[in-house]
Amino acid sequence: MTVFSSEVGVVGALLILVIVFTAIEPAFLSDRNIRAMLRVVSFIGIIAVGQVILLVAGEFDLSVGSVAGVGAVVAAQLMTSLGLPIALSIAGGMLTGATIGLVNGIVVVKVGVPAFIQTLGMLFIGQGLIQVITGGVPIYPLPPEVGAVGREKIIFGLGYSFVAFLIIVGGADFLLRRTVVGRNLYATGGNREVARLVGINTDLYKIGAFVTIGALASTAGMFVMADLASAPTSIGSGWELLVIAGVVVGGVSLFGGSGTIAAGIVGVLLLQVVTSGLVVIGVNSNWQQIAIGTIMVLAVGLDVVRRKLAR
Amino acid sequence: MITWLPITTFWSRRDSNPISETRRGGIRPVRDGSAREADLTASGHPTLKTSGITKTFGGVVALNSVDLTVREGDVHALLGQNGAGKSTLIKVLNGVYAAGSFSGTLAMEGREVSFASPRDAAECGIGYVPQETEVFEHLSVAENVFAGMTGGSKKARLVNRREIGRRSKDILAGLGISIDPNSPAARLTSAEKHMLMIARALARRPRVLLLDEPTAALSSTEVKSLFEALSRLRSEGVTTVYITHRLPEVMAICDRTTVLRDGIVAAEFDRKDFDEDAFIFAMSGRKLSRLFPVHDAPPNAPNLLKVEGLVPGAGHGKVGIHREAEVSFSVASGEIVGLAGLLGSGRSEILHAIFGSLPAKGTISVDGDPVAIRRPRDARRAGIALLTEERKRDGLLFNLSLGRNITIGNLGPLSKAGFVNPGREGQAVRKSMEALNVVATSPAAALSSLSGGNQQKLLFSRALMREPRILMLDEPTRGVDAATRQEIYKLTVDLAAKGAGLLIVSSELEEIIGLCTRILTVSDGRIVDEFKRGEGDEERVLRAIADAQGRQFEAAA
Repeated sequence: MTVFSSEVGVVGALLILVIVFTAIEPAFLSDRNIRAMLRVVSFIGIIAVGQVILLVAGEFDLSVGSVAGVGAVVAAQLMTSLGLPIALSIAGGMLTGATIGLVNGIVVVKVGVPAFIQTLGMLFIGQGLIQVITGGVPIYPLPPEVGAVGREKIIFGLGYSFVAFLIIVGGADFLLRRTVVGRNLYATGGNREVARLVGINTDLYKIGAFVTIGALASTAGMFVMADLASAPTSIGSGWELLVIAGVVVGGVSLFGGSGTIAAGIVGVLLLQVVTSGLVVIGVNSNWQQIAIGTIMVLAVGLDVVRRKLAR
Repeated sequence: MITWLPITTFWSRRDSNPISETRRGGIRPVRDGSAREADLTASGHPTLKTSGITKTFGGVVALNSVDLTVREGDVHALLGQNGAGKSTLIKVLNGVYAAGSFSGTLAMEGREVSFASPRDAAECGIGYVPQETEVFEHLSVAENVFAGMTGGSKKARLVNRREIGRRSKDILAGLGISIDPNSPAARLTSAEKHMLMIARALARRPRVLLLDEPTAALSSTEVKSLFEALSRLRSEGVTTVYITHRLPEVMAICDRTTVLRDGIVAAEFDRKDFDEDAFIFAMSGRKLSRLFPVHDAPPNAPNLLKVEGLVPGAGHGKVGIHREAEVSFSVASGEIVGLAGLLGSGRSEILHAIFGSLPAKGTISVDGDPVAIRRPRDARRAGIALLTEERKRDGLLFNLSLGRNITIGNLGPLSKAGFVNPGREGQAVRKSMEALNVVATSPAAALSSLSGGNQQKLLFSRALMREPRILMLDEPTRGVDAATRQEIYKLTVDLAAKGAGLLIVSSELEEIIGLCTRILTVSDGRIVDEFKRGEGDEERVLRAIADAQGRQFEAAA
């Protein structure tokens, strides 16, 4: 009930922002701008799905930007330097992301290092790995098929990344809402002790969520690579904060156990609308970050107040 | 600065070993005011006096017009069963319950006082040592002793390490323990931490010291040094109010005893009238009997659960909760077995050890076959269910709706290939809500909208959904209304009649005695008595516990 009403609030805020930006500058709702916004949202959104699942299980991951970059440069290196088939290289990239997620999960859950520390550490390690793997220069050229995938337009002038985003969102939403695994994830994040007492293997669920977000982050990184037909070292840089900010604005609780995929995605979309809208109406780009920061604090403030009222 | 005198007074002050003092005298009714005043002028002034303290929690009366008079320099025991009102009274005395949240008055040395906070009480000369250990692990011993006193006041804005180190050492030496004041508190044993908390209270040089079950965390030698310290404080005129469950300690150290029962003063005793039987009688009392549905265990029923040599908390290189204390018992089909005992006696730990939520050594057999239970999942698979004690902490999932709270952990039969079937889930939820009479607007209702009784019934629904054959209930009626209480009793008996084996822990002796077909009395992690329904009452349980504690106390001394 409260979750639902919070989604209504974010959707309302999103609509108001769209109306205001369009009123100031009608070009905001041009196909070109909408397309540009959705393109970014599909990259960030794929990771946001993983972050929502992980937050529901009661943990979070700051390393996703690095993991996206590592996944992309590993795949690029496999298909260029090692000359592996593209499919195998992509699988290698995903496996790399999943493995990093596994390491995060094991260290956080089994060793007991706080997720903040472990994943912040992994953010730095990932940045370093990108430099080590690439030697600091973009991996280019990639096999022509990769660039072709990136250029392909499927619906509304958007490509495979958008389609993948829609499929991942749909699948994850179903997972959380309709499956036993989803229910057990909510229980794990809501009260780990209770979850354990009703027979749920909470460690497994938490580690599984870390692996999932690792795999999704590397997938998003590889879509950017296809989009650019190149694997620069900057892929994913700074995404970790955008992803967290987005899902939190959507109303996914940082305390675990509550939030939906839809809410997380709406939050990511809202931040993208603000960023893009400020550019379109001609506000100095320096103000974008101030706006994002302010919105995030406001959104979490509302979440905290709502929780206080609910208890 | 307090200068500590050598210990000369403790055992010599009494003319005989207090434990073996002959039992005499019976229960005396609470005397009228004039008699009490006369008594006081003979042996001292009241340091602390409460008049007509009444405190209620949402309609439940915890204290009902309590008059307590504590004489100067006494060690004054406060006795009573769990829930008798001891802790509530202490929290009135130490300012945790601010003036105005209760009715009645407090007086210190003849002057009326009112405390808005624990700080007020401390400034007025009341020192308090809570039962739970609250130590700042990352600070040094000395900083812990002077915690809250090393800043704020105008005199002492800066921490003078050498000064507080020296003074801490004195205070700790007075308590009979020698620990380096500069060592980090994290390195202390749990008993030392408790002594550290007593030292913290003494650092403020209180005139009245309130100790809430001070010996619960201490070993027998530490108890002895605590008693020596208390005697020394007494000789310096410090008054102590000593809350305990342990009668031998009262016999050994206290000068006067007040027994609380159901929020009223049930009896008061002077040292010359001390008598364990009289204490037990006053504590158990004669309450209006509730009606318990009668159930008799079928004769020669097969054993469902058998526990041998169970040491809760042991394993992985750790010793048990009560060191090597182990329990062995069985529960047959159709039996309701009650574990009676005081708080901290290890009752709940036995349940958690069987359920796999607490590591343990020992053998657990279900239907005659040993089962390896390492985690709750294993216990559930073996047909064991546990209703936990603190529903807010380890029962309810506040992020899920009522219905989903019932089905969590039970989704197997309600789903196919991992996909929850909403129709079947809804049906199962409605069915079990109906069966247990859970009252709510809908299965989608938030838990916070439910009463305590309905929350408890929903947890029963969750436990019963898997149709367990062995059901363990930890405080099944805590915080529920009278009507729900009756429903829970009836449900318990119905389940036993259908052949389930039940194992119940309750702090309400009356409930255990009234409901169970067999009672096991637990003290310090051991089963010290066993009897069938009708063979004993509350007094028998309290007597068995007091005897067990007496034996331990004597063995230590």
